[in-house]
Amino acid sequence: MKNQRKKRTLFTQKICRFCSEKIEHIDFFDIKLLKPLISERGKIVPSRISGNCARHQRQMTEAIKRARNIALLPFSVEH
Amino acid sequence: MRNYHSVLILKPDLDEDQVDQSVEKITSIINKFGGSILKLDKWGKKRLAYRIKKNKFGYYLNVYHTCEQGRVLDLEKGYQLYEQIIKYLVIRLEERDIVRVMDKDKESAAESAKDSAAEENRSEETVAAGEPDKS
Repeated sequence: MKNQRKKRTLFTQKICRFCSEKIEHIDFFDIKLLKPLISERGKIVPSRISGNCARHQRQMTEAIKRARNIALLPFSVEH
Repeated sequence: MRNYHSVLILKPDLDEDQVDQSVEKITSIINKFGGSILKLDKWGKKRLAYRIKKNKFGYYLNVYHTCEQGRVLDLEKGYQLYEQIIKYLVIRLEERDIVRVMDKDKESAAESAKDSAAEENRSEETVAAGEPDKS
């Protein structure tokens, strides 16, 4: 419960961040862009929480998966 | 002929000469399969998000290149057989993607040309206009 509340405060505005910044294409090597969209454990944040639009969420998941493949992002973060 | 984007991770314990050597080798691998390099960036040594073949660091190379159709699997085999590469990723690019990449490159080249022109003199605008065409 506590965790959920924390996350909610992280993403307060429910606006697609890619739409608002007018990003047409998400590059998988743009780690600065993708880093906020993975959780502490390295999971992809669902659009329900991040507020991204469906189109950009699809692009983003693909970008994150490619970044994972080439070791720019972790598959999982161990505690 | 199609356009591709390869990201290659080389072993971290290479010095500059060895990196240049492996760049040459990679160029020859790509040429062997009927391709040519459009753009090559060195991202340098980076920390890997997870260990690959017991390495914690890797030297990243970012290559945009072409390849003959249907020979990408052979190209990947070539990457696998080259022992300095610890991991690779090959992605097919559509025509508009490669145009976007090249445009971005041109923009940055134009910007840098503009900057240098501004630093030198305003009267040498012809140089700044000429430079982006070369790239």
